[in-house]
Amino acid sequence: MSPRLRLALLGAALAGLLPGAVAVIRRLPEFGATIAAYGERINAIVPAERHVANMVSAINFDLRGLDTLGEEFMLLAAITGTVVLLRGRRGENTTDRAMRLPGRAILPRSEAVVLACRLAGPLLMMFGLYVVLHATVTPGGGFQGGVILASGTLLAYVGEGYAGWRDVIRSHWLDAMEGGGALLFALCGLAPMLTGAAFMQNVLPFGTFRDLFSGGLMLIENAGVALAVCGGFTQLFLEFLEETREAAGPEEPGEESA
Amino acid sequence: MTNALLSALPTAILVPLPVAVPLVVCAILLATAHLLPGRLPDILATLTALTVGILCALIASRAGDGAVTYWFGGWEPRDGVALGIGFSVDAASGWIGAFIGLLYALAFVFAWGFFGRTHGHFHILMLLFLAAMIGFCFTRDLFNLFVWFEVMSVAAFALTAYHLEESALAGALNFTVINSLAGFLMLGGIGLLYARAETLDFAGIAAAVANAGRDPVVAGGFCLVAAALMIKAAAVPFQFWLADAHAVAPSPVSVIFSGAMVSLGVFGLAKLTAVVFAGSAQVQDALPTLLTGLGALSAVLGGWMALLQRHLKRLLAFSTISHAGIMLTGIGALSAGGTGGALVYVVGHGMVKGGLFMIAGILLATRASIDEIALRGLGRGIGPAGAAMAVAGLLLAGLPVGLLDQGSRLLHGALEGTHPYAFVANLTGAALTGAAVLRATGRIFLGLGEDPGDEAGAPSEEEREKADRPLWLMLGPCCILLLLDVIVPPAWVEALAPDAINAFAHGTLTGGMEEGPLWAAWCPVGAAIALAAYALFRHKLPRAIVRPVRATQSLPARGLEALHSGLIGDYVAWLAVGLALIAGALALA
Amino acid sequence: MTWLPYAVAAWLLAAGLYGLASSRNLIHLVGCLSVCQSATYALLLGLGYRWGSIAPIFYDHPPGTPAVDPVMQALVLTDIVVGATLTALLLVLTVQIFKRTGTLDPEQLKPMRRRGDPAGADAPRSAEHPSR
Repeated sequence: MSPRLRLALLGAALAGLLPGAVAVIRRLPEFGATIAAYGERINAIVPAERHVANMVSAINFDLRGLDTLGEEFMLLAAITGTVVLLRGRRGENTTDRAMRLPGRAILPRSEAVVLACRLAGPLLMMFGLYVVLHATVTPGGGFQGGVILASGTLLAYVGEGYAGWRDVIRSHWLDAMEGGGALLFALCGLAPMLTGAAFMQNVLPFGTFRDLFSGGLMLIENAGVALAVCGGFTQLFLEFLEETREAAGPEEPGEESA
Repeated sequence: MTNALLSALPTAILVPLPVAVPLVVCAILLATAHLLPGRLPDILATLTALTVGILCALIASRAGDGAVTYWFGGWEPRDGVALGIGFSVDAASGWIGAFIGLLYALAFVFAWGFFGRTHGHFHILMLLFLAAMIGFCFTRDLFNLFVWFEVMSVAAFALTAYHLEESALAGALNFTVINSLAGFLMLGGIGLLYARAETLDFAGIAAAVANAGRDPVVAGGFCLVAAALMIKAAAVPFQFWLADAHAVAPSPVSVIFSGAMVSLGVFGLAKLTAVVFAGSAQVQDALPTLLTGLGALSAVLGGWMALLQRHLKRLLAFSTISHAGIMLTGIGALSAGGTGGALVYVVGHGMVKGGLFMIAGILLATRASIDEIALRGLGRGIGPAGAAMAVAGLLLAGLPVGLLDQGSRLLHGALEGTHPYAFVANLTGAALTGAAVLRATGRIFLGLGEDPGDEAGAPSEEEREKADRPLWLMLGPCCILLLLDVIVPPAWVEALAPDAINAFAHGTLTGGMEEGPLWAAWCPVGAAIALAAYALFRHKLPRAIVRPVRATQSLPARGLEALHSGLIGDYVAWLAVGLALIAGALALA
Repeated sequence: MTWLPYAVAAWLLAAGLYGLASSRNLIHLVGCLSVCQSATYALLLGLGYRWGSIAPIFYDHPPGTPAVDPVMQALVLTDIVVGATLTALLLVLTVQIFKRTGTLDPEQLKPMRRRGDPAGADAPRSAEHPSR
């Protein structure tokens, strides 16, 4: 199809959908008037039943923990896929051979950048840990905190350069973190079954409301997610940054490489 | 002793295991990826898939004429309102899960040594894919369904591009973009249904849908969710991504794609229409037209396109579109026979199509080509594969033996009286796809057909797959699949089906399960053999017969090829058209 | 204006689809897909909102204070992960496509045809016409 014909087809289809969309929007609940019974009920019963203040974490790790388990393994699938498709495990020995665009000047790294990264790096890591640990009391959680922790490692790249960054980051450790975190989460599902409870039933003591140690099993699941997300996202950064290095040899397509 | 041990296992423990076990094995494989010796991932993955299959079969056999319900986290419904996520496994869902586990186990055996140097990453992706499929079959929560739908998609995207050739990358890109859009549409639909039902549990939504009457929000939610599932099921006009993706994925992955993933779109649609939307008169009125119409179109178009291909895996991919269309027409019949036939067809088709993709993989590995014309006569050294392919072709056309035939006979019985055009389309689709496979068999394994001369070079990229695998290891799983399709006792399925469908659809589907007439089974077989013979012996026929045939079918064939342009922009435009078609059918109902 | 959030969601979906259909750059294409996804964020968060409610975190406010729908927030969190995984995978494909073909234009990609072969476009792809 020519681009013009394609857009005409799309436009006709969207125009055909317009009356339907208008009808749906007119009949949707009025914005901001009320919330669904399901959410209302969770807000009403969970603080007393699970001693946690953050309802979103309670849903993610307890009421609808299975969704989060699926989500965690979705991330694992994406990162495994990235490693497979970028034919990972390169670049560990070729840290000095960056690809250069011809004609672009190579500026030395400014000392201000190095200083800023060295100062901000540990602070960012602290903040990430804080967000992870306060999953059940404040708007935090393993996923959000894990991403912050992973971006903290990127500051090491900005401040110390690729070689310095690769010295501290080891791909095998990341695999272990990612797989271990996901395993911890999955085992949090299976372990309660040994006591005769349901999959992922919160069998641990719930702790005190508004306390760091509240929510029982949620805390362990949260730690698993944080570990897996931090390892996974760092692995992702690693794979993409390896693309900035020149390959040691010509890449073989197909099944012979990887 | 094993029996005693198995019967001691309470059903309540079994339900989460088919999902949890592969996930745990994945995590262990990843955490220890660099430590594992060569063959261990192969062995672990095969055993895991077998375990999943056995667990699913156990649950299915215990479900009886009801369903096993399981609430995760111990969040049982209170005052009839679901708080957590539940699995609800009826016999039909359980047996389909068991079939999926078996298909994966055989695909792992087929792929033995294929992905030797990926540190088990291939196995991790495949096991995640497996867990997601089982979760998709078992869940009774709409958002949980979406989560497994997405896990399935993400694992599939990564597996498709594995070969990293231009075709593989472009196919994976089209697959990713279209199926991601499917995910977004589904989530939008879930949002609309949640706005009306205020719950995510199937039973709760079904009650709210039944109370809502003619409600644009419910219709909109159905439109979006159904579009997402029909994209997965590759119904016309959402079918474009499938041929690009299935043709380029590594063969063991194509086995899963065509054998299970596409059918799961149909399965999901069958479940949602029967369980969640049974109470909406508007949706139920729109369904027969919509599903038999689009299904019949897919059946014929897919079959025709299959007949036009010379790339063997692309040929099989188009035949999958055709057969998914046939399944859709069964759901559109809105009867116990139609849906039951579609579900039996899912399993039978999965076995036959899985076997066919394995044969394509064998040709890629041992003959280093996938082009039908380049392969002419080259299959002579691997006769057993040729015999298997011929049998599979005949089964695909509807040879009246085995599970696939039982499914299509049930579909014929359900459609013959009520939707004659869909019935004819089913026969046509079966005949065309069977003819395409039989023609390829004749050309490759018997060296029939015109000598191609300098046309022998394939117009697509050079392809080959890892060659140093023993033939019997690849042929074995293929023969097991075909054998299973043939030997499953029809009486057992017949006895199981009525109760299973009743439990699957929560009693919303009526009608008996009559089988279609025997002539309807033999007709497409005869037509397929005749068509294949015409294609292979055309050069010996008088020109007066050949020329008009060629003249009439050349132009529409080129038009069809031009439609399947491989350009993502075109596919997105067609996706919007499909969405508008569904919305239109709902508006007119 | 109580319909505005929903209209924005519908508009984002339509705009994203237009972008996908007309895109001439794969990175732009990935962005357009994210725009489509934003439609789901807008819809879900719009449905879960209530005027005068707090976030569903009962730390500074006692339990029982009217709060917005926590389910929608949890669903959007999952949706964000979906978005991140899809973006990562699509960018990987983009990187590899650029390496293999030297182009980022989706119109230049032809699955199932051999690149750089002038006969590739015209050679019979159909098994029905082996000797046309």
